[in-house]
Amino acid sequence: MGRSLGWWRVALLALPLGVYGAFVVWPLLSSFAYSATNWNGFRLSFDLVGFDNFRALAKDPLFAGAMRNTLIWTVAAILVPNGLGFLLALGLERGVKGASFLKSVFYMPVCLSAVVVGQIWIWIYRPDWGALNGLLAAVGFPQGERAWLAEPGSALFAIIAAWSWQQAGLSMVIYLSGLTNVPHELLEAAALDGAGYWRRLRHVILPMLKPATIVVVALSVINSLKGFDIVYIMTGGGPFHASDTLAVLMYDESFKRYRMGYGAAISVVLFLITLAVITVYFRQLRKLEELTA
Amino acid sequence: MHSARTLGASLAALTLGLIAPGVRSSALAADNEVTISHYFTGDLGRDAITKIFGTFEQGSGVKVVDTPTGHEDFKAAILVMAAGRNLPDVFSYWAGARTAFVVDSGALQPIDDLYQSAKLDAIIPASIVKGATLYGGKHYLVPFGYHYAGLFYNKKVLAKAGVTEPRTWADLLAACKKLKAAGVAPIALGSKNRWPAQFWFDYLLLRTAGPDYRAKLMAGQASYTDPQVQKAMKMWKELVDAGYFAKNPNADDWTDAADKVMKGEAGMTLMGTWITGYWDGLKQKPGEDYDFYEFPVIDAKVPKAAVGPVDGLVISANAKNPDGARKLLAFLVQDTASQAAWAKAQGALSPNIKVDPSGYSPVMRRALEVVSNAKAFAFNYDLATTPPAAEVGLSMFAEFMNDPSGYPALLKRTQEQVAAVIKK
Repeated sequence: MGRSLGWWRVALLALPLGVYGAFVVWPLLSSFAYSATNWNGFRLSFDLVGFDNFRALAKDPLFAGAMRNTLIWTVAAILVPNGLGFLLALGLERGVKGASFLKSVFYMPVCLSAVVVGQIWIWIYRPDWGALNGLLAAVGFPQGERAWLAEPGSALFAIIAAWSWQQAGLSMVIYLSGLTNVPHELLEAAALDGAGYWRRLRHVILPMLKPATIVVVALSVINSLKGFDIVYIMTGGGPFHASDTLAVLMYDESFKRYRMGYGAAISVVLFLITLAVITVYFRQLRKLEELTA
Repeated sequence: MHSARTLGASLAALTLGLIAPGVRSSALAADNEVTISHYFTGDLGRDAITKIFGTFEQGSGVKVVDTPTGHEDFKAAILVMAAGRNLPDVFSYWAGARTAFVVDSGALQPIDDLYQSAKLDAIIPASIVKGATLYGGKHYLVPFGYHYAGLFYNKKVLAKAGVTEPRTWADLLAACKKLKAAGVAPIALGSKNRWPAQFWFDYLLLRTAGPDYRAKLMAGQASYTDPQVQKAMKMWKELVDAGYFAKNPNADDWTDAADKVMKGEAGMTLMGTWITGYWDGLKQKPGEDYDFYEFPVIDAKVPKAAVGPVDGLVISANAKNPDGARKLLAFLVQDTASQAAWAKAQGALSPNIKVDPSGYSPVMRRALEVVSNAKAFAFNYDLATTPPAAEVGLSMFAEFMNDPSGYPALLKRTQEQVAAVIKK
């Protein structure tokens, strides 16, 4: 029987492990290898250049810009969609009329692809007939109108706003499920002890939402580090690199400038940052499990 | 236990089964199939190219396996195939520095034999053979269509504003002034994807410093901080400062700019002849609704150059069916009916001199005339300099359009970045 179980395991794991190995592990290792070369993508051969690509990255203003933008995005990703999601969850939890309908409405953007979200917001941001400038003019603030995606000062933030609009629904759902786990007895007991809503929120609800917060923060950070598709659709990293993220720069260097080795070096940096974030995340999760166990 | 083993075996068989058909079909492919990847999609002639491939298949018995990819995505798609050692037999590519880059990388095979056997030199104009098909003395590319960039304008709008053909720089400034006074944005530009701005740089530099200097700059043998480049940028800045460009060029695509001209919100746009294909598709009448002017002469001593791209087809070094690929390439440029249909569908000029120009619209006939009379044909910027350098310059143009005031510093930075990536 033991042997037959072994067969089962091998048979069932072969396909997924094979796929994982071929499409995740192998490319990952290849990226590390290519980051030490000057391969241009077309040439069949290349030279080993050691850490030259990384040394060049350290002096590259485009890389510094992309790094700064990714950092801004990461901080915004922790605060904006999660803050919005949290407020939505709190509001909808308190028995608003039509709550389940509203939940679906707020969750809907999560189901859209980045291409659709990007295109919707491109229209909203259009300088000539976009909804945002229209709104600003309608409320008597036409001096606020601008070409949101075409100006270097606003492009990145305009993309982050669009992205947060999509992400907030996801945070909302996770917070909602977290809220259902807050025991009613605890809230009632606190209320009997004379705690008002704010004190209950501060001392009962928020501590109970710690697991949900760890999940949404980790998801937001990882999603923000991956930030590529919506940027690519909305600005392509432009205008003139003002909204480049590490992922977009990696793509541009590899596929537009034909510098595969250099692009691979950027991907290695991105991988290491993501790895660090995930390590912290798993550590927090483990701590939490130990606490609840 | 028995059944567990059977299941294991079936899963293994299934896995193999998923792979096997791919193996079989690629082994068969070599004989009577030619694989091709190209960027002729949607507005850029998808229907026409499919028909042309059909005609070729009927005549030759060779099947064309066709993978079209959108113009912007094609640049990445072809590189992914190259990186995976999986290039199709034939692919479309832009003649000039981009093709030179691929030739240098050893990813293409020379086709001198095809030029000889099909006598292609006799049907392709010598200037195109020399400028677009020869790399390191060998033929690598068959031209499939080419374009010319000019000042395309809305006839009614310009007539109403009293604008006549601007033959000099002063004329152009005067025309813009008149249009602006008439409440129309004189020049539309959609530089969101950066490249549409390049034609301004190209023509200003070509008309002031001349084709030879420009070729040096493109090859990395001159500097963006040279007085020649400064002068061109200063003239460009004059236009921007005077408010002659429509607002927010970096928010628009080239089609948005084309729409503005078509609707009469703007007077003209400096664009390639593919704009005629776009406008014709929107039921605009060539010669009645729209027409074009040549970019004006700035210095009469400088030989007049025409700017544009040449769409080419190349054969990859490891093509599985090199003979079939040669047959296809020869057909695509030789068959005058296909060439005429293609030129019409795409708003392109045919590189085959046997194609009867009477099939062209009056606007395209004039474009052909202008190109034929030009002293030089120059590739537009992103095809004239190496791809890594072009990326630097294209961003510079977009940054300049956003704020031209600090252009000398911008040129200095451009030079530093270009010097770091260009191969001398």
